[in-house]
Amino acid sequence: MADKEKVLQKVQDILTDALGVDEEEVTEHASLVADLGAESIDFLDIVFRLEKTFNIKIPRGDLFPEDLLSDENYVQEGKLTPEGLRVLKEKVPYANLSEFEKNPDVSGLANLFTVGMIASYVTGRLASQAT
Amino acid sequence: MRLKDKVAVVTGGAQGIGRAIAVTFAQEGAAVVITDVNKEGVETLAQEITSQGGRALALEADVRSEDDAQKVVDATLKNFQRIDIMVNNAGIVRDYLVVSMKPKDWQDVVDVNLGGVYNFSKKVIRPMLMARSGKIINIASLAGITGGRGQANYAASKAGIIAFTRALALELAAKGITVNAVAPGMVLTQMSERVRSFTQDKVKSLIPLGRYAQPEDIAKVVLFLASPDADYITGQVIVVDGGLGLGPRW
Repeated sequence: MADKEKVLQKVQDILTDALGVDEEEVTEHASLVADLGAESIDFLDIVFRLEKTFNIKIPRGDLFPEDLLSDENYVQEGKLTPEGLRVLKEKVPYANLSEFEKNPDVSGLANLFTVGMIASYVTGRLASQAT
Repeated sequence: MRLKDKVAVVTGGAQGIGRAIAVTFAQEGAAVVITDVNKEGVETLAQEITSQGGRALALEADVRSEDDAQKVVDATLKNFQRIDIMVNNAGIVRDYLVVSMKPKDWQDVVDVNLGGVYNFSKKVIRPMLMARSGKIINIASLAGITGGRGQANYAASKAGIIAFTRALALELAAKGITVNAVAPGMVLTQMSERVRSFTQDKVKSLIPLGRYAQPEDIAKVVLFLASPDADYITGQVIVVDGGLGLGPRW
């Protein structure tokens, strides 16, 4: 089983490099967008580096569920529908959605992606690969 | 050698502008991966380059195929471990007035000329992102700026390349990857032979510099954009037309 601390450290290194920020800023609870200034291209860069570092394949939309936003079944009038929330929970089980659920505005979606969430995703993928 | 140790992919490299670009790049020290649907053409060219001490790899590929694009990228990385420069040059013409143009004539030109740029650009982004550098150079056309009678499909595809170039430049700039285009005017290639014979050199008399372009005239500008001298240029279209596209001359 992957060592969670080691995974977190490697994820932090990747994000420091991909986002061009200081190491100290990349805390476990830091949001990629709100705190670290990540943009769309950065998400792609991060996925590539995670795949290479951890030797895993991350299908499109698996870590960052971009396709969710363009489906009218999941997003209406700028908010996630109950179905959209259900799908989101399936896609990102490591994310803490308790606050987001109170007001599921899509503009707040990006803030769900924290350093810790990515580390949890990778740990989970490594664990499932090992079994 | 302005491209020493660089690795470049050139689509449509078997003849014309693509061939000139591949030869020029190899002379400037780059390893060149030359692709075309004309397998014999690229193999012959690759042999020419290697026999003169250069590095070249010939691959048969149809730019309309995303799978072919991936295979080219995979083969390039396997053989040369990097991709520094992507020249999207492959293009075709199917000249008809719109009223006579069949849907297939429209779609084939758009799929090869513009779809090919999308397919190959998409596939090289990953290695370039990982390297934090890269240069994508798209061969557009003066027709993409001015239009052209009987060339609505070609002109539209080339105009699309120009817009794609600008959009992609914005997407990739933060990661050190530049995206630019070259827009040739009338070039002495097989592809322009029909138009030149049809116009019987009337076009030549309209060119302020008084001659058609040689493929090497275009290749030299592409070389500039591929070189470190163009590191601070992105999202631009350099028109290489001998003045053909300029306004009234009096």
